Amino acid sequence: MATSLPPVAIPGQRLGSVASYAAGPGTHVQQSNIYASIAGPVIVDPAQPKTQTKSTLRVSRMVPGVNQAGAAPSTSSAPAPKSKPRYNTLPAVDSIVLARVTRVQKRQAAVSILVVLDEASAANPDPSKAASDNDNVASILTSAANPENHSNTDELRFQALIRKEDVRAVEKDRVVMDEMFRVGDIVRGSVISLGDQSFYYLTTARNDLGVVMARSDAGNMMFPISWKEMRDPVTGAGEQRKVARPF
Amino acid sequence: MMADRRRVNGPSGGTRPAVFASLAESGTGVSERAQRQRQPSELRKIFLKTGLIPTASGSSYLEFEPSASLAAARINPKSLIPPSSALKLACTVHGPKPLPRSAAFSPNLVLTTHVKYAPFAARKRRGHIRDASERDLGVHLETALRGAIIAERWPKSGLDITITILEAEDDRWWADAPDSHDASWGMMNVLAGCITAASAAIADAHIDCLDLVAGGVAALVSDEEKQSSAAPKLMLDADPAEHRSIVSACVVAYMPARDEITELWLKGDSSKASLENGDKRSVHEALLDGAVDAARGAHTVLAEAVRESLLKTVG
Repeated sequence: MATSLPPVAIPGQRLGSVASYAAGPGTHVQQSNIYASIAGPVIVDPAQPKTQTKSTLRVSRMVPGVNQAGAAPSTSSAPAPKSKPRYNTLPAVDSIVLARVTRVQKRQAAVSILVVLDEASAANPDPSKAASDNDNVASILTSAANPENHSNTDELRFQALIRKEDVRAVEKDRVVMDEMFRVGDIVRGSVISLGDQSFYYLTTARNDLGVVMARSDAGNMMFPISWKEMRDPVTGAGEQRKVARPF
Repeated sequence: MMADRRRVNGPSGGTRPAVFASLAESGTGVSERAQRQRQPSELRKIFLKTGLIPTASGSSYLEFEPSASLAAARINPKSLIPPSSALKLACTVHGPKPLPRSAAFSPNLVLTTHVKYAPFAARKRRGHIRDASERDLGVHLETALRGAIIAERWPKSGLDITITILEAEDDRWWADAPDSHDASWGMMNVLAGCITAASAAIADAHIDCLDLVAGGVAALVSDEEKQSSAAPKLMLDADPAEHRSIVSACVVAYMPARDEITELWLKGDSSKASLENGDKRSVHEALLDGAVDAARGAHTVLAEAVRESLLKTVG
């Protein structure tokens, strides 16, 4: 079935018929044929026996060395870090994002979205697959968490809001925003809505969502000690946060 | 005309030596008009490469092969004035990025195009502020690309496409005086180049589009000395410097996979012209077919450039 499929596709290239495949991301359908809409490697996702009958055809945005580090030969995965690690993915509903807090108000916290996590790695967080991606995420975060690094690049990032009632699932009315987030924290959140003209809306009302990296008043990186507290390893002082489950 | 008040401007038209009619007519060999060496349906060679600008999410650089006379003049210069010029342009794509705060909600990708001639790009010096013709090119380019991009896949985001023209096509042979048929013919070739380059840059930025959209130009030219009765000839990818007079020209943005035209720009008066004997098509049809053929030719280069950069990243 997959005999005639090209290994890579360019926009406008015919990939197959809708009779034999379902159209996935990076493709579009024109006159019951599937065409590629971006340039990239062609990937066939086998049909799930229960839900689908046809295998899904998609064109990947990822460089194969990054996306499937285990499957690709070592020659191609070695130079992968110097090439562009990820391509522009927009936040969509239910996607997991990492964001930096830019402002904390009584009713909401404003954040700017740094990374939209890949849907494949978000769906099945396989540590071996995510490892290569996490490396560059870590580098993004250390630069972003550095308070001296606050430049005007926030203008170029997507802005989002975490409303008071979306911070946690229980005791929503007792939430005090100052005890949940501070400016500069890195938050893992899930997109609940594309929102209005300027802001997306995020929620952290899950155990695995919340603050993942934060600095204390003294400026040291803190480690989490409970779901609502982080501690400074140098001064020993604790600070309150809505902490994400570390693993 | 708008003046740029923030900078010290040079004289508006002072970078080329003055051309005197006596020099142009003296037959010193300097002033020979460039001759078209190609077949009527043969395009100039195109150099196209993507991903040259690392800070942009997508970029491309496009260059047309210089005409034979220009290549000869570069090796053995007889004059300070180059006999013709070749197109060179760079295209950057920034985005998708958030819309400015003042902008209204948009469920689609908002496309913005800027086309700017470098001050030194043409024989007449350009200002730093975009003038009417540059804005016109921007609008034409936006129309051409809007039909190709799948905008609904990028809600709430904007895409900025910026083209800098480093060397522009001439509108006519430099020693010719403007005549009744004169128009900014060079713009049409520039637009075709812009469309092809922008399409490559968009593919480099991994923005969803229906097809790689390519630009092509065809022109009806008459090379006779006098206004004779000979029918004008149809030329693909006509360089205005190589022809005595262009009757009309047409540029299209064309998607071969779907056989669709997203942008059509026809200039000149072709109502009185007629084609050579045996050609039953109307002049407009012939121009349009020619431009589409030229775009098909440019598309092969475009597809190859995109594939090449893709294979480089895949490894």
